[in-house]
Amino acid sequence: MKRTAAILIANPLSALGVALVALVVLSAVFADFIAPFPEHRGAVVDFANFNKAPGWPYLFGTDLVGRDLFSRVIYAYRISLMLGIVVLAIAVPIGVTIGLVAGYFGGWTEAVLMRITDVFLSIPPLVLAMSMMGLLEPTLTNGMLAVTAMWWPWYTRLVYNLTRGEKEEGYVLAAEVIGASRLHVVFREILPNCVPAVLTKMTLDLGFVILIASSLSFLGLGVQPPTPDLGSMVADGAKYLPDSWWLTVFPGMAILIAVFGFNLLGDALREILGVDQ
Amino acid sequence: MKTRTMSAWAGALLAATALTATTALPAAAQTVLRLDESAVGELDPGKATDYADSILMFNVYDTLVLPVQGGPGYAPHLAESWETDGSDFVFTLRDDVTFQSGNKMTAEDVVFSFDRMKALGQGLSFLFDKVESAEAIDERTVRFNLSETYSPFVASLVRLPIVDKKLVMENLGEGEGEMGDWGQAFLSANAAGTGAYSVSAHNPQEETVMQKNPDYFLGIADKAPDEVRLRYSLEAATVRTLLAQGEHDISSQWLPPEVIKSLAADGAQLLTETGGGAFYVKMNTTKPPLDDVNCRLALANAYDYAAGLTMVAITDEVAQGSPATGAVPVGMFGANPESETLERDLEAAKQYLADCQYDPADFTLEISWIGEVPIEERFALLMQANFAELGIKSEIRKVPWALFTEQVTKPENTPHISQIFVNAVTGDPDTLLFPMYHSSLAGTWQSPEYLNDETVDALLEKGRTVSGKEERDAVYSELNDRLMEIAPSIYAYDRQSIFAASDRVRAPALSDPDKAFGLDGMGFSFRLMEMTEE
Amino acid sequence: MSPVVRLILKRLGISLIVLVGVSMLIFAIARVIPGDPARIALGPNASAEQVEALRERLHLDEPLPLQYAYFIADLAQGDLGVSLYTNRPVTTDIAQFLPATLELIIVAGLMMIMIGLPLGVLSARYRGAWPDNAIRIVAMLGVSAPSFVWAVILMLIFAFFLPLFPIAGRIADSFSVPSVTGFLLIDTLLAGDIRAFGNAAWHLVLPAFALALSGIGQAARLTRANMVETYDRPFIEMARSYGFPERRIANRYAFRPSLIPSLTIIGLDFAALLGNAFLVEAVFAWPGLSRYGVAVILRKDLNAIVGTVLIISAMFLIVNIVVDLLIALINPRIRLSQRS
Repeated sequence: MKRTAAILIANPLSALGVALVALVVLSAVFADFIAPFPEHRGAVVDFANFNKAPGWPYLFGTDLVGRDLFSRVIYAYRISLMLGIVVLAIAVPIGVTIGLVAGYFGGWTEAVLMRITDVFLSIPPLVLAMSMMGLLEPTLTNGMLAVTAMWWPWYTRLVYNLTRGEKEEGYVLAAEVIGASRLHVVFREILPNCVPAVLTKMTLDLGFVILIASSLSFLGLGVQPPTPDLGSMVADGAKYLPDSWWLTVFPGMAILIAVFGFNLLGDALREILGVDQ
Repeated sequence: MKTRTMSAWAGALLAATALTATTALPAAAQTVLRLDESAVGELDPGKATDYADSILMFNVYDTLVLPVQGGPGYAPHLAESWETDGSDFVFTLRDDVTFQSGNKMTAEDVVFSFDRMKALGQGLSFLFDKVESAEAIDERTVRFNLSETYSPFVASLVRLPIVDKKLVMENLGEGEGEMGDWGQAFLSANAAGTGAYSVSAHNPQEETVMQKNPDYFLGIADKAPDEVRLRYSLEAATVRTLLAQGEHDISSQWLPPEVIKSLAADGAQLLTETGGGAFYVKMNTTKPPLDDVNCRLALANAYDYAAGLTMVAITDEVAQGSPATGAVPVGMFGANPESETLERDLEAAKQYLADCQYDPADFTLEISWIGEVPIEERFALLMQANFAELGIKSEIRKVPWALFTEQVTKPENTPHISQIFVNAVTGDPDTLLFPMYHSSLAGTWQSPEYLNDETVDALLEKGRTVSGKEERDAVYSELNDRLMEIAPSIYAYDRQSIFAASDRVRAPALSDPDKAFGLDGMGFSFRLMEMTEE
Repeated sequence: MSPVVRLILKRLGISLIVLVGVSMLIFAIARVIPGDPARIALGPNASAEQVEALRERLHLDEPLPLQYAYFIADLAQGDLGVSLYTNRPVTTDIAQFLPATLELIIVAGLMMIMIGLPLGVLSARYRGAWPDNAIRIVAMLGVSAPSFVWAVILMLIFAFFLPLFPIAGRIADSFSVPSVTGFLLIDTLLAGDIRAFGNAAWHLVLPAFALALSGIGQAARLTRANMVETYDRPFIEMARSYGFPERRIANRYAFRPSLIPSLTIIGLDFAALLGNAFLVEAVFAWPGLSRYGVAVILRKDLNAIVGTVLIISAMFLIVNIVVDLLIALINPRIRLSQRS
């Protein structure tokens, strides 16, 4: 714990990561108290105040039907975070297990599992998610489904490569020699050695899931209005460049801040876990 | 050593640059008109439906008749004259028209074009449902045999482009029957018309490039653009910048009003085209609670017409829409006077809702909007807010166009509320109202109301058989009243297309009401435009 | 047969199996969607009979495995059907649009490797010092925004406010370059038109950079992370104790073992480039396959979706084969296990 604190203090970037993530998470959790116009997350029209440049009381300006952009960005964080957590909670266990099993057992198990993984990996992830979203109804649940479908193979591939490297290391051979069961070797010996890489990747990925989800909605394949969503805000706003720049710049920066925060935190985690190792 | 070869190479590069710079100059003397459309233009004239297709069709092909500029009625174009006994039409063709291929245009080509349109059954072929056959009597005479009296027939002919039979037959692709693919593969990438412009390149993702046809049978003014580039699917922001930088000439009409506003503020001229169309909010009359006329009237009265118009306003004088007065757009047969604009009446709406057999609390209305038309999202939000004042809940759903046209084929899949821009494809009220409200054509993108009303059907059929201006006006006026009474749609506003343009181009058909065609897309006849600079 | 040739053949075989899997997956997704492909294909005005006739012609009433067989048979003849979006054969569309996307991706990929890897090496070498921190911030910013945000920001600054670069398209209207390869950088040189070449390159700068930014960040970050890990291993300490210069240690002993994980990820990053091209092409009106892909996905143009995804997947597989071979060449341990 002390070491963790020491690293955070020694490395201002890591501290910044923690601060940004805290900012994003807290805004999402306490959106109802922070947003000046909570009702603007939904279908509200106010044609007296539409397309206003940033100022008071609209910190980020208003959109084309007069909704406060700041309030909408705050609520969009809530949706993004939820989506990211759900996707990783499903994708990581699946991906890691398949990767471990394929990497350690080898033979036919490896061939079959890795070919299936390869099929998914052979369609560039965004393209896979896009095709699925294009063909399904664009809802939040389907969005999570599409992103999950593209996400697990990354963990499989990562853990598979690590396992193949690890299984020839001395400690694994040693465990095998003293007669440890295969399950024990996989989950007790190899898995712990993959944890730092997986954890680091998860922290980074929370940002990337937000990023990919926003890319889908940028292309019109994500969460539907009036639900606030950062990607669709950028896409809709981009039509009004350069005059109404705030419509794109603030949601774009919001994505940047969230992903940047999780990336810095991921790096910090890597250092911390590296020390613990 | 190394540096010396480098500088020698740089010198050669400079020389090459200078050389190409001087040789490139003479080509620039050509005048080029650059414009854009949101959808990809379909070159095959037998499949032309939307605005981009129409622009291509009206420039690459010609039709037997053309709308009269600045007034009602139709004038001969490829035809010299015509005669009718009410159900059969005999056209005499001009003798001096050649296709861009050099082939002479004859009655055979007209018959071929008609047969092809019917055989493909795509695009606007439904306009010719009442025409049983076309036959060539001699080289210059064509007869159309109609199954019954159909007064809008001559108007429909602006949608029958004449195709070069000989050229198409030389390029038939594989298909069933002796006509193969009817030249579909060939015509989707090549021109086979008599038009004022020929196609020199067609890339569906980028642009269609057209060149002036020096042998056009009517001749073309020198000032008309030598080359036209119709660009596709540019972002609004891109068009806005290209126009401001002098790299673009005419925008599409789909630019959001704010963008047109900024362009106008930067000094762009605004071109307008009124094509007899309107913005309709269509209600599914088969789905509760909208199967009750009182519930529909409640929504029609709750809708804030004035707020809708502020959304499409560009400047104080110019807007993408004008107030609606009823089901028929102002200026057409049967329209109500301009002064009788529709207004929001919340009290009346509450009254109607009280008379409705359903309790609004039991329903959530599904309000759809077409993904390709962003402004519709704002209308969806407006309606959601308006209807909430009556205590009616609703949810908004974005539907891509392709999916929408599929959904509406079944009443149970059709959303409660759909938003559609409809134009009379020929300028006649029949082509506007019949496909929308006749019960036999229910369940297309134009008719998600699934209206089934005997009075409406009878009036629509009557409108097709009576001829004479006053009789038709009376029929459509009665129809208008009936459509107000049973409210299958909310008649949100009469539509006007606005284009932002640079001052390099003058387009009388889009700026002078006396030169306007009153037909969507016809104003983009490039031969009538003038380039003012370079 | 040499082990390397055998490895290549084996990899190709596996890729073929994977490609068949991809085609099945895509075909399945495309066929189970709600909506009648025939109705969508014919458009809103078609009659019920016309729809039925097309259903029959497309074998839509047959069982799914049989439909797949028909699909493969057509595919074998290079027939992917007709696109509803352009009304042309899908193969024609792909042939016309693919070069533009490839050109963009190759330039972006080169930017990614040539800027990203050196940044990572520098960062690891000066671990903890200011160059490391500066590079880490830049790299992380690059990774932290989706390509479309970078595209929009670059466009806003360098095309709208400072009109230094063009905002759309591949080349100015005034140049007419005969299409030989479809790659404008090559075609302009073949035509000997240096100004056109310059103009095409000038059009490539913003989109390629927007596309490469996240890859640059990713490559730099991973190279650094892996090298830092390698630096902690005993053999580096040993090399230091022998008095090898830091530069040699960085380039030779720390970089090479770190390259394996970096290469794996760069292979996957190529997929990210292919995917992100969808976003960047949309912003810059780049007439490539990705823009076509977005258009056909939004229109539920099934033939075109299947064709586009298959082609993109095939390209991606080829890159992955190359990456796997490189890894095998660098790491003898893995090569040995492949041989056994």
